[in-house]
Amino acid sequence: MLFNSFIFLFAFLPVTYVVFWTLRSTRARYVWLTITGYVFYGYWNPKFCLLMAFSTLVSYTAGLGLAKWTDPRRRKLCLVVPIVVDLALLAFFKYANFAVDTTRQVIHFLGADVTLPHLNIILPVGISFYTFHTITYIVDSYRGVIRPTRNLFEFSTYVSLFSQLVAGPIVRFRQIEEDLENIGTADRTRWIRVGVSFFIVGLVEKVVVADSLAAFVDPALARYTELSTLGTWLAMLGYSFQLYFDFSGYSTMAVGLGYLFGIRIPQNFNSPYKSLDPSDFWRRWHISLSSCLRDYLYIPLGGNRGGELKMYRNLMITMLIGGLWHGAAWTFVVWGAYHGMLLVLYRLVARQWDALPVVTRQLAMFLLAVIGWVFFRATDFGMAATLLRQMFWPTTGLNVAEPLLAAGMLSMAAWWAMVGPNAFDMRHEWSWRRGLALTAAAAACLAIIAGSRPSPFLYFQF
Amino acid sequence: MLGRAVVLAVLFALVFELTCRVEDLIRYGTPMFSPYTSQSDLIMRDANGARGRPNARFQKWVLNAVGTRGPEIARQKPAGTLRVVTAGASETFGLYESTDREYPRQLEDSVRASLIRGACRETFHNVEVVNAALPGMSLPTVVLDLQHRIATLAPDYVVYYPTPPQYLDEEAPGSTPAARATSPEPQATRALYPRSAARLRSQAKTLLPEFIQTALRRREVDRVVKDRPDGWRFTRVPEERLEMFDRDLRRVVGAIRATGAAPVLATNTNAFLGSQPASADMLYAWERFYPRATGEVILAFDASARAVIRDVARDSVTALADIEPAVRGPSAFADFSHFTDSGAGAVAGVMARTIVAEAERTGCVTGSRQPVPTTAQVLRP
Repeated sequence: MLFNSFIFLFAFLPVTYVVFWTLRSTRARYVWLTITGYVFYGYWNPKFCLLMAFSTLVSYTAGLGLAKWTDPRRRKLCLVVPIVVDLALLAFFKYANFAVDTTRQVIHFLGADVTLPHLNIILPVGISFYTFHTITYIVDSYRGVIRPTRNLFEFSTYVSLFSQLVAGPIVRFRQIEEDLENIGTADRTRWIRVGVSFFIVGLVEKVVVADSLAAFVDPALARYTELSTLGTWLAMLGYSFQLYFDFSGYSTMAVGLGYLFGIRIPQNFNSPYKSLDPSDFWRRWHISLSSCLRDYLYIPLGGNRGGELKMYRNLMITMLIGGLWHGAAWTFVVWGAYHGMLLVLYRLVARQWDALPVVTRQLAMFLLAVIGWVFFRATDFGMAATLLRQMFWPTTGLNVAEPLLAAGMLSMAAWWAMVGPNAFDMRHEWSWRRGLALTAAAAACLAIIAGSRPSPFLYFQF
Repeated sequence: MLGRAVVLAVLFALVFELTCRVEDLIRYGTPMFSPYTSQSDLIMRDANGARGRPNARFQKWVLNAVGTRGPEIARQKPAGTLRVVTAGASETFGLYESTDREYPRQLEDSVRASLIRGACRETFHNVEVVNAALPGMSLPTVVLDLQHRIATLAPDYVVYYPTPPQYLDEEAPGSTPAARATSPEPQATRALYPRSAARLRSQAKTLLPEFIQTALRRREVDRVVKDRPDGWRFTRVPEERLEMFDRDLRRVVGAIRATGAAPVLATNTNAFLGSQPASADMLYAWERFYPRATGEVILAFDASARAVIRDVARDSVTALADIEPAVRGPSAFADFSHFTDSGAGAVAGVMARTIVAEAERTGCVTGSRQPVPTTAQVLRP
């Protein structure tokens, strides 16, 4: 089920909302949110609800163990078992075919001829996200950062909360623990206006900006070999903004939905195209993922400790795994490596870089990000190489349908992403004028949604 | 408070409607105040039967000055141009495909790409595919259209993609009765008809889960059947209807030849063939359009008609684009028989290969310049 579909907006959400606020007890609200989370998830493919339920039960049980035992060996077991189970599920569903294909290529490269079957595996939507939810919960419980919950429904609400279930943000238990515990006494009227406001802003980002950009980006990149230099740049700039507004729109809607149910979900995008250097970029782009990678991978690897070389190694490992998390393909690994290199290079030349004018740094960082998106978008290295060659080896022509319209949409998106306010910069208290603006924005979004099939969010594939 | 709520409601309605119009303008080039408000407005009737209304447009469906879907064409065929006309019903007209991805448009690209590289590149410098299909167009209506309109376009090939289940309707298809007067243009005031209504109607359907939609379809079919006498419903393939289909198809082949073009017949396909057939729910959706036949009879009739098409092609020495084995599977169909972009692409691929092979086989001589059986020979005694 998509946030930008009529079934969600006019059936699922109203029913979930009304029943939730009609229920009075904490337990009843947990149960209701769990049920709705599974309905939301099962609408895509009911079979995979079992997978999520299994992952939830394993982590919940391990959490109980961590709450009960002080013996280090038992605690270690409670840490390792759920993480291995979660990562094994993720590895099987997401990376099995990648491993098989890579093995086949290596064997072929070595001159042998072995037939390895391509496994018929469907990647469950959102598995990368809820796996991170359960792993961060277990690690935080083990570290004593949080007190593991004894309430199964509180935990299952956290894992299956529909607003963040399939495309994040990756919310850590500690970030919403207080709101979850107070869910029985939450004040409906306190957050409704903020929630509606966030949701509509997110809807505009997705439906008006991202999907409009997709209308020229998708056809252009479908025939990428025919693009000229200008056409390739237009397509890749368009894709850069499309990806941002698509994912940021989803996250903003998730925040709005969280507010509607009394749960404050943290910011996931802080205008990443305003960043001035690679470190800044990763503090602003997909904040929930980059902070997880920092806290659960980079720092355990040693972080900044142990000298510069070790720090660079840790950065590269973190970014490579971050790249692989996005998708089971070598292009994602290269994308991660590219950003790892940018981070290392920035550390090496930070003093000279920071001396440059702000506008230069912002534009340069943006262009570096756009080049990285080539690997992110390309389906294989051939496509990436072609796009890069077309971008930097001048050829004449345009080859983009409706170039003026495309340029107009790009300008609007560029202004909002690079100069304008993001959803968290905006005021969400309602005034009469703001009410008018939100009403008009909602009407425009719904008219567009009504005119086409809802387009899925790009980050669903991860 | 109430006053403000009313203001917000009015604002919502106005912006919703305005957005529909602006989006139609941007996406499809539809004027903000176009009088065409539904697909049926694209069809007009006159003394020559039903045809496309010249320059009419509704959402993505845009008719040219000749009244066919697609880009403008010169009535007089330019020299060195291979002109292919596609005839048929909604499968050919295109319902679900993105703009310019219906199979006639993709056929144009495919034929152009292979013909101009092939043996006929000296004869043909350009390829035009004219999509003369309209939703619901039956074989007898196609015959009229061939005689009165398509013939004037001097096509080299006319491709016909059939919709056999039309012969399971209440009455077997006849030619559209001639109207005494040409249907008038829609009134200018219809430009004010809210476009938001059509969008909301189509979205409202998606609010119902599939099983409820199926239950409603079954109820609708049951209601129609209940009012009819016993034996009204086809519970096996009605042979007389199949014979009518055979006869009408042979007439179409004759009518195509009479225009000076070479006919190409396509075999019909549907979403219930192959290793991943569509669901039973989808079959109920199809049944709703032809309540006189059970779902099984629709499928059986569609299959029998395919055999008829092959027979007619063989008897009449007509090129056959065998779509059925090549276009199968869930990715090819948006519903029971209409194509997705990729399905339309696959159809276009098969048709293009057939046309190019035919053109090269005949030494790049097309249409009536080839020796072909006469209409009388094609028609069964």
